[in-house]
This record gives sequence, structure tokens and C-alpha cells, in this order.
Amino acid sequence: MAERAARVLSVEDPEEVEREAGRSSKIPVVPEGAEWNAVERVMLQRRSIRRYKKAQVPAHLIRRLLEVARFAPSQGNCQPWKFVVVRDPDMLRGMEEFCVEQCRKLSNGLDYATLPAGSLKYRIARTKAKLFGRLQPNMLHPVPVSAVTAIAEGRFMVFHRAPTLILILMDKRGVGVPPVDIGICGTSIVLAAQSLGLGTCWVGFSKFLNDSREWCERLGVEEPYEVTEAITVGYPVGDTTRLIPRETHETVWFEGGKKQILY
Amino acid sequence: MALLSRQERRHFPDWDDPSQCIFQRVTVDLDKCDGCKLCTLACPANVLEQYGEKGRKKVRVKADVRGRISCNNCHAICENGAIEATQHYDFVGYYRQLGRGAFAKPRIF
Repeated sequence: MAERAARVLSVEDPEEVEREAGRSSKIPVVPEGAEWNAVERVMLQRRSIRRYKKAQVPAHLIRRLLEVARFAPSQGNCQPWKFVVVRDPDMLRGMEEFCVEQCRKLSNGLDYATLPAGSLKYRIARTKAKLFGRLQPNMLHPVPVSAVTAIAEGRFMVFHRAPTLILILMDKRGVGVPPVDIGICGTSIVLAAQSLGLGTCWVGFSKFLNDSREWCERLGVEEPYEVTEAITVGYPVGDTTRLIPRETHETVWFEGGKKQILY
Repeated sequence: MALLSRQERRHFPDWDDPSQCIFQRVTVDLDKCDGCKLCTLACPANVLEQYGEKGRKKVRVKADVRGRISCNNCHAICENGAIEATQHYDFVGYYRQLGRGAFAKPRIF
């Protein structure tokens, strides 16, 4: 037993494996205080873009984004994604109209903040909102609710009139937690796009499309797939690359037998 | 052990009460703002508007709008660095923000 354990250990010591193979990889040195490298800069400059120029993005660039996405990590390498690319303005307009209509219905029935305080409608909507909030606290978070109302009132758009839309469908049978893989895959897309001078925005409200038999049919959304996220792609209006401030987050750090809280 | 009390977990903030839904602060340096309007286009929540006489227009946050999300797109697009979100949104009760520190630009370590 002991002999076997020792053997396993020696095989799993990567440095010894390297030595045995007569090869050795160097540990890269990044000095303290080094400037952001090109990849980090792209990540820091990425903003969610909601105003696009009318110019269409060349098809080969979209193919490039999807090619990068194909190599995103996923649980058990299950790759639970399927892409649907829409670059037809009429279709995009139709999808926008459908999602706006869904927002209108949702906002009217639930967002009591838009109704005269104390009215019967207000009280009904408020009771419903508080109840659904308990069942679906993420969807009925104050931020998406205000966005739904903004869309219903025409102050905000779902797909931002972007020339290209990439829908990311999820194979519900994926390993572990497939929505996480969809997020990781989409992150590859938005970062690659940023590096190519393109702007992107995640559109979670694209999920509404699952509720339309017509759109599911047209887009080819069939079991076991469902629309999970969408990413708008286009050329941003204005230069949005200035780095921005954002809040720091509490980080717990264990080292040298000590626990520290960092920000 | 929980960071939210039982009372907080049960309290869903009223969407129409600004003291329970605290959408963050946006500050505009009026000396630097040249009224170019780019930030009103970049704002994802569409909460910025121009005001003032022609030729001397400035930007401000619209009154009574919800949904500011501290994204700082306005800061990213402003050529003069005149506008900035300086605080994150926060809520009373169930959605109270946890473990957030001060705003900072990307820090080099």
C-alpha cells in the first residue's frame, strides 16, 4: 500500500515529471506595480454598450467571436451552448416588439410604483409584487423591475437596435450548473469583441422569447434547448474606453495562519 | 449565523419609496461639463438629460427616475471626466448590499 501511495505521489509531482521528461517550463515573472497588459486592459475597458452605430459588423468578425466562445471552459467540458445569430433588421425589430409587449404586461400587472398610490389597482399590484418577490426574488429585484417599466414606457430598449444579436441557447441537460457555463462562454464573446473594437451588451430579457411559440419556431429553439442569454454586438457610439471607478468588495484572505479582510 | 436578520430577509423594499430603494449618486462637475450629450446616449438606464440655454447646456439626472445602476458608462464616455457615479445602489431589507467598499478605479498591485 505504502509503495503504491509513494508511486502515485511521485507521478503526480509535476516538477518531477518535467525533470523526467527532460523538459522544464519557466515560471513567468510579473513584477509588482507592472502596468495592465493587453488582455487586462480589454477586460477593464469593457462596458455594456447600449448605443450602436448603424454599420453592420462584418460576418467574419462574428464568426471569430463564436470561434473563441467554442473554447470556453465548461463543466465536464459539456459545452451546453448553441448559438443563434440574427442579423436581419426585420427579425430584430419583431423580437424587440415581442419583448416590449411582454414587459408591458409585466409592468402593468406588477409595478405598483407607476400606479396612483392607494388606488385599488395599486393595492392589487403591490400585493402581487410582494408575493411574487418571495417566490422569485432575483427577477423581482428592484433593478430589473425598473428596467421592465422603462422598456414598457419606451424609455429603454431590449436589444438596443444593435445590428447583430447572438442568442445563447442552453442545453438543459448540461453537466452540473449549465447556466454558469453559458455565462463563461458569453464572457469569452464580450471580451473578444472588446478586443476587436466592438461593443456588446448582455440581454437577459431575451429569455422572454421562450414564451413565444412563434419565435421559438422561427429561431429554432426546441427542447432541450432554451434561450438563456443574448449578446448584442455592434460598433459603439463614442469612445467608451476611459477606465471607471467601481466599488471594492470585501475579500477574505487566509495566509500564514492568519485571516485578513482585504478590499 | 446570517448577515441579514430574519426581519431583513422578510422585508422586500417598496419600489416607490426612495428611502428604501436608494439608487446611487451621480455627480456632475458643471465646470467640466460641456453639454456634449454623449453621456445621455451612453446611459443604459436613460436617466440623464440636458438642460439650460442653447450653447451653455449641461447634463443632470432626471427627477424621479429609478434604475440608476452605478455602471459609470457616463464616466467612461465623457471626454472631460465631468460626470461620475460615486456610490453603489442599495436597498433596505432583503436586498441590502453586503461587503462593499469605497469606489476606486482599477488599482495596480
